[in-house]
Amino acid sequence: MKGRVYKFAGVALVLYSLIYGLLTSIPELPIIEQSIRNLFYHVSMWFTMVAMMAGSFGNAIAYLSKENLQRDTRSVSLAEVGMLFAGLGLVTGMMWAKFTWGAWWTNDPKLNGSAITVLIYLAYFVLRNAMDDERKRARISAVYNIFAFVMMIVFIGILPRMTDSLHPGNGGNPGFNSYDLDNRLRMVFYPAVLGWILIGTWIASLRYRIRKLQA
Amino acid sequence: MHTFYFEVLLDERMAQIFPLIGRFFKQELRNSNALFSLGLYLIGITYLIYLLGGNTAADSTWNTLLWVVVFFAAVTQSSRSFELESQDYFYYYQTVAGPGPTIIAKLIFNASYMALLSLVSWLLFSFFYGNSVYDPGVFALGLLLGSIGFSVVLTLTNGIASRTAGNATLSTILAIPLMFPVLKLTSTINVQAMVGVAFEDVLPLLGSLGALDIAIGLLAYLLFPYLWQD
Repeated sequence: MKGRVYKFAGVALVLYSLIYGLLTSIPELPIIEQSIRNLFYHVSMWFTMVAMMAGSFGNAIAYLSKENLQRDTRSVSLAEVGMLFAGLGLVTGMMWAKFTWGAWWTNDPKLNGSAITVLIYLAYFVLRNAMDDERKRARISAVYNIFAFVMMIVFIGILPRMTDSLHPGNGGNPGFNSYDLDNRLRMVFYPAVLGWILIGTWIASLRYRIRKLQA
Repeated sequence: MHTFYFEVLLDERMAQIFPLIGRFFKQELRNSNALFSLGLYLIGITYLIYLLGGNTAADSTWNTLLWVVVFFAAVTQSSRSFELESQDYFYYYQTVAGPGPTIIAKLIFNASYMALLSLVSWLLFSFFYGNSVYDPGVFALGLLLGSIGFSVVLTLTNGIASRTAGNATLSTILAIPLMFPVLKLTSTINVQAMVGVAFEDVLPLLGSLGALDIAIGLLAYLLFPYLWQD
């Protein structure tokens, strides 16, 4: 029972954010209008992805210091789930962009950051497949994972703040700056992020157990 | 491991690093075939672009083309960095000088080689298309910091790729997405140097590129020993 609490909590929080996210009242902003609700469904995907990748990064460090193969299995399982959420983040973001900006994709720092992140982790899986010996694979891919995570944080967390962007939350957009402090949105957004992180952890633990059975 | 990083600052370590760098350069000069092929690549590709486009390119195109040329020169140069001296050689250096100094020497060697390559590319570009850079100092600084970042990323990914079963393209696959932050910052700096912006406005960009170089250099230095731990 004890190990299942977080799963129930995750399902409850996600259900709450899915339903209440459509019902809650929102600040009235031009252009962005009702699509502001995508904050609950799109931004939470990216937060969850970063959390999963951070978990993968932590396990990679743990592998290098303790050489425990279970850490490597955890690391790759979390990275896989992170990729799943990155895919969902891309899809929800592209749909939003089509309706708000009129294009599926634009040359924007945040969009470039997400594309590069996906490429970085796809390369991680390619690298893993290039090695057969499991200890060597675990160590070499942990080295790449650590380097890749730091570069990803630089690219999605630091660079977009240094340039102008059309994406909400940057520059003079009717974005985060004006609704960041709106408590109505916070009430749904933070539970959504937490719920999805719990769900992601659950999926990763399933992946981990499948991998252990296969080994 | 942790104390190690501070030890490097000591003189005796420095005394081990410089002869190694000298040795890497000597090795490169001796292998004149590789050096000539790299030079020929640079001249060939620059002239090819000249043939196709003439000297009418806009600033942004000039900059993009220069970076594409530098990028592939970097990939070609660094792809040999663990191939030239076989892994046995690298083990030998590590036993003689220790892994820390070896990696630092390799990083410094690759970075200075890269800086040289990008300067030569710039010279060739200026020769064929005319120099459209307004502020050569800032441009050179951007080029220099950019090549340091390039070489750090490429040295690490080449180290990684050399440990896998001879997959030649793997290093490039690993390096391309990792190079984007450096590439993005450098090309922004270079475009600003071409149009001419006040130095105070470019300074934050130069500072962050320098900080990024130092950060990834340190990270590569800390991670490298794990690659050769069999």
